[in-house]
Amino acid sequence: MGPYNILDFTSVSIRDCLYNIEDVKGENGGEPLLNKKQLAIGELVLKEIKARLTFLLDVGLDYLTLDRTAMTLSGGEAQRIRLATQIGAGLTGVLYVLDEPSIGLHQRDNERLLKTLSHLRSLGNTLIVVEHDEDTIRAADHIVDIGPKAGVHGGDIVVQGDIKALLKSKESLTGAYLSGREGIDTPSERRPGNGRALQIRNAHRNNLENIDVDIPLGKFVCITGVSGSGKSTLINELLYPALQHNFGSKVPEPSQMKPIKGLKALDKAIVIDQSPIGRTPRSNPATYTGVFDVIRDLFAETIEAKARGYKRGQFSFNVKGGRCEACGGQGVNVIAMNFLPDVYVQCEVCKGARYNRETLQVKYKGKTISDVLNMTAEEALHFFENIHKAATRLQTMVDVGLGYIRLGQTAPTLSGGEAQRMKLASELARRSTGKTMYLIDEPTTGLSFYDVHKLLDVVQRLVDKGNSVVMIEHNLDVIRCCDWIIDLGPEGGDRGGQIIAEGTPEEVAQVENSYTGHYLKHVLEQHPSKG
Amino acid sequence: MPQSKTPKTAKTTRKSSNGKASSNGRLNGKTSGKTIGKAAKLTKLSDDLIRIRGARQHNLKDINLDLPRNQMIVFTGVSGSGKSSLAFDTIFAEGQRRYVESLSAYARQFLGQVDKPDVDSIEGLSPAISIDQKSTSHNPRSTVGTVTEIYDYLRLLYGRAGQPHCPHCDRSIAPQAIDQMLDQVMALPDRTRFQILAPVVRGKKGTHAKLLSGLAAEGFVRVRVDGEIRDLSDNIELTKNKTHDIEVVVDRLVKKDDIQERLADSLATCLKRAEGIAIIDILEDRKKADVVPLKAKSDDKDVATAAESEGDYGNDLPSELVFSENFACPEHGAVMDELSPRLFSFNSPYGACPDCHGLGSHRRFNADLVVPDPSLPVYAAIAPWSDKDNTYYFSLLYSVGQAYGFEIQSPWNSLTDEQRDIILHGSPDKIYIETDSRYRDKKGYHRKYDGVLPILDRQYRESSSDLYKQKLEK
Repeated sequence: MGPYNILDFTSVSIRDCLYNIEDVKGENGGEPLLNKKQLAIGELVLKEIKARLTFLLDVGLDYLTLDRTAMTLSGGEAQRIRLATQIGAGLTGVLYVLDEPSIGLHQRDNERLLKTLSHLRSLGNTLIVVEHDEDTIRAADHIVDIGPKAGVHGGDIVVQGDIKALLKSKESLTGAYLSGREGIDTPSERRPGNGRALQIRNAHRNNLENIDVDIPLGKFVCITGVSGSGKSTLINELLYPALQHNFGSKVPEPSQMKPIKGLKALDKAIVIDQSPIGRTPRSNPATYTGVFDVIRDLFAETIEAKARGYKRGQFSFNVKGGRCEACGGQGVNVIAMNFLPDVYVQCEVCKGARYNRETLQVKYKGKTISDVLNMTAEEALHFFENIHKAATRLQTMVDVGLGYIRLGQTAPTLSGGEAQRMKLASELARRSTGKTMYLIDEPTTGLSFYDVHKLLDVVQRLVDKGNSVVMIEHNLDVIRCCDWIIDLGPEGGDRGGQIIAEGTPEEVAQVENSYTGHYLKHVLEQHPSKG
Repeated sequence: MPQSKTPKTAKTTRKSSNGKASSNGRLNGKTSGKTIGKAAKLTKLSDDLIRIRGARQHNLKDINLDLPRNQMIVFTGVSGSGKSSLAFDTIFAEGQRRYVESLSAYARQFLGQVDKPDVDSIEGLSPAISIDQKSTSHNPRSTVGTVTEIYDYLRLLYGRAGQPHCPHCDRSIAPQAIDQMLDQVMALPDRTRFQILAPVVRGKKGTHAKLLSGLAAEGFVRVRVDGEIRDLSDNIELTKNKTHDIEVVVDRLVKKDDIQERLADSLATCLKRAEGIAIIDILEDRKKADVVPLKAKSDDKDVATAAESEGDYGNDLPSELVFSENFACPEHGAVMDELSPRLFSFNSPYGACPDCHGLGSHRRFNADLVVPDPSLPVYAAIAPWSDKDNTYYFSLLYSVGQAYGFEIQSPWNSLTDEQRDIILHGSPDKIYIETDSRYRDKKGYHRKYDGVLPILDRQYRESSSDLYKQKLEK
């Protein structure tokens, strides 16, 4: 094919690939690189390839290469690829259901995505988008606000209609934040930090261009930049392995940078990501936070339990003793139906209580251990308010916005965002050394304004204890509340990997060539700090 | 007559279905009633609403909802409020379920069963496609190109409109018809003497006695053996253990205008005999050849342009012309299949690299991961071996240390590069390896030391237990 072999199309970024295709067709001013016969054969195919590449470009994926394996794509990238494919399919009259397409997108890419969505709609399709992003909500033709709050407090339609109806509504939390009646205050002063910093020198993994950067400690630091600019590379592939290596795990020190300096001010590094807290249905919020141990001890201390000689193991649904043996403590039996989906049947023996009859006769304040597992964190907090150990742990769960979760809800059914906040909650409950570095990758993913607000409060509390938080984030409400910004860019992929700006949000907002700064300036004007 | 009847009946059924809808949609009051009236007039079931009645999935509280179609609708609300329950577990699940139900039972067994969502009714639902973030493929064969199907188009393009080139010499490979070969030969300067050779043996060992006698029986007179022309009537004896090239001389000719028929005939014989390859060996003296083609060019412009298109002879008359009627490089013999889209698929055995099977990468043990902390002493530094009770590896390392002069107590990073390389990749020579046997006295044997990485690779390949594999994958 002219001067190109097939790799010249697949191993270069989509932007370059499109250029090469245009080159072949002779659309870049030059002669077509194919002879007439080839052009005749390839005309339709080239047209189709060009169209699809353009769609990928439109959804902001110009930095990917065609031979990149789907495995290594982020969830958002994969979703946008599917979106591009769907537009290419050109179907009409279809109902598309999208789950938070703006996740992991920088503001700049968001506009492009919205254009793509409205294009899909103008093809004659119906789109249902589940979304928290302000721009997307404002761009919608029709809005349905569900709530008012989470879990048992939700499940109703609060507002339905256009953006004005949403803004006017008194019950809608989303409307309250959008209209500015509620809001996250921009802190009036940024923390000075403790003067120390981690020094990263000559980092050059993936697209990072030998950057030198200092990460100040004792501060809330945000790493920003457009998608693919190298944020995750810097934090997840360089900083974290380096910290792990130095804190004793058997992980090789990343070789693509010089050894980190300034580690003495830290004693551990903890990653709080969206991976599930447990893969077995035997793990649940109560066991994860450790509150269940306290509760079991409590039950074992009751007179009834002592009279029967029950120890704490009696109150575990995971070991033999107190649990219902018919269902192995699961409360349900799984009946495999081969080509039909598995059927879950409530256990006939314990009626879903998970424990045997004897254990259930032990009661604390009139509730059995099974009743406790069915409480939401909020109810449990109220129930155990006098038990300090349990109450503090439950309080943190409520603080991170997980008050609606039932203590016995199995771990695999928690969403990624919920799992991440679960981890935050258990970190908060732990006694802090004040020398911990938390690495948090996009915690606001899947969170509404209200939840972001709550989460931010929690993170600020962590930093107030003297810890350092490094967060990769796109959410401008979060970015404007942090103490220090490190902005990478300017673009994604091979045109990124440089440091564009460093400093407090106010300083970064003044940087001309930073996309983040540009949008930040706008938000800071909207939400000036009070006082 | 019957033609006019059918739409009428269709109309009535539609009306009745609309009637149902309105009875269900009573809660919605006037607006939905109006739209239904319009829809009935249009005689087309142009529902511009999606009507959901009594959704109770998860925490939804018996929701009734009308959604406009052909619009962009955003569901919002705090986390856990039931947005996804409504969008995915109710609307999408029902759309999906209806589609799946319409398929045959046979097809259904390959699709995951979707449970019926807890909802009274949904009407005006179009086929639903969900674009979520979870459905990423974890198959390394799936790439951006394949997911978007751009790669399929590229394959098609290359398969149908590509020009193959020889991987060794980069020359274009194209199948040639006898007519094209004829044109090229006829473009040679007049009075050029040449012979047509059919290569029958290429770089194969043996005496080839049977073949040679067979050729003589077929009536061929001469052969070229390893570049040397010999008579078949001579007794040709070849060394058995050397590789030989044998070409049969099919014909010898002098370029003239009237040889075309005989040339075509001979070329056909040659191609048949040599599986599609023909060599034109030009017997002209170099000195003469230098002069003649220049003349030819000036004499006959048509000939010169014809020659240019398929390879310019210029001042140097090539000593050989090689033709192939297959997809093969005549010089290197790199035979290619006829170009087809599957050849360009890295997922098809026709196109994939045979070593990595088209994945582009291998699962190998990484020296940096095997030795995570170079400051540890040698016996503890090699992570996969350090936590074993097995004394075998310990004594193995000890013996290697004895042979190449290092103490196993000394830290890994104090070793020379050469010593590290030997530990990881094996020793070039046989060394004495001492084994520590519980039952016998110290005993040893001489053999090559394989090296940590090859040993681990082998263990990974040969191990059938998943547990051990997982352990090694760390």
